[in-house]
Amino acid sequence: MKENASGERKTQCSDESKCFELLESILDGEMIDSGKEVLKEKLAKCQPCFEHYHLEQAIRDVLKTKCTKQAVPTELADSIRKQIQDIK
Amino acid sequence: MSEVQRRKYSQEEKNAIFDGEFMPHIDSMYNFGYRLTFDEDDAKDLVQDTYLKAYRFINSFEQGTNAKAWLFRILKNSFINEYRKKSKQPTKVDYQEVETYYNSDDVHYQSTSDLRAESVKDMLGDEISNALNSLAVDFRTVIILCDLEGFTYEEMAKILDIPIGTVRSRLHRARNLLKEKLQGYAQNMGYNTDVDEE
Ligand SMILES: [Zn+2]
Repeated sequence: MKENASGERKTQCSDESKCFELLESILDGEMIDSGKEVLKEKLAKCQPCFEHYHLEQAIRDVLKTKCTKQAVPTELADSIRKQIQDIK
Repeated sequence: MSEVQRRKYSQEEKNAIFDGEFMPHIDSMYNFGYRLTFDEDDAKDLVQDTYLKAYRFINSFEQGTNAKAWLFRILKNSFINEYRKKSKQPTKVDYQEVETYYNSDDVHYQSTSDLRAESVKDMLGDEISNALNSLAVDFRTVIILCDLEGFTYEEMAKILDIPIGTVRSRLHRARNLLKEKLQGYAQNMGYNTDVDEE
């Protein structure tokens, strides 16, 4: 446990299950308007929430940026168009 | 999809929808197919099949609605109904595993690992990709839809034909499983030891 990062945050979350569910929804873009304030408050005041949020965010970031897309075979689009042409 | 009888599209309109709204998603569709099957030919078949169905049922697509979600739903159904049946090597019995293991929507949200954000950021694409690929297909699917493709919970609920609550809980479990895998990698690489190296 890093102690320096915690500052004034409480070290125990009072309702981890609810908080984490909320944080994950916010990260998934589900609470665009109401989420920001709640988030600010949680991150400022609660160390477990703070850590959970950053871990979850890191996971989403690496998934998005590092799971590279498989190159689509070049002939696939043509082959689809050809088959559509046949059933038109 | 509603049962309401829609007007039929003209040939011209069909072409416009197909080229303008369906074909642009071919990359995402192929990737979804590939991450479901881990096989280029199977992925190609799935995508091709999906587009043919999409064309055949184009009258039930409402223009202006989310074409990508509509296509993903068709692909997912093709995968479940056809690919998994004929597949020589079915993707294990993931579904059973999922159902017996995690049959409830009531998840207690909790942190299940000591994994640190810093270690995750240091991971290589291969490690992330392998961890994702190692998840059971239901879990892999929600992560692909949410994190790689950016669908909302509501769109995912429609694509997967499950309630939003189930989307939410399945995603949470999927990410926890992913974290367990990543933590395994992190330990092997010595990532999560707090060393100061410059
Ligand atoms: Zn908290």
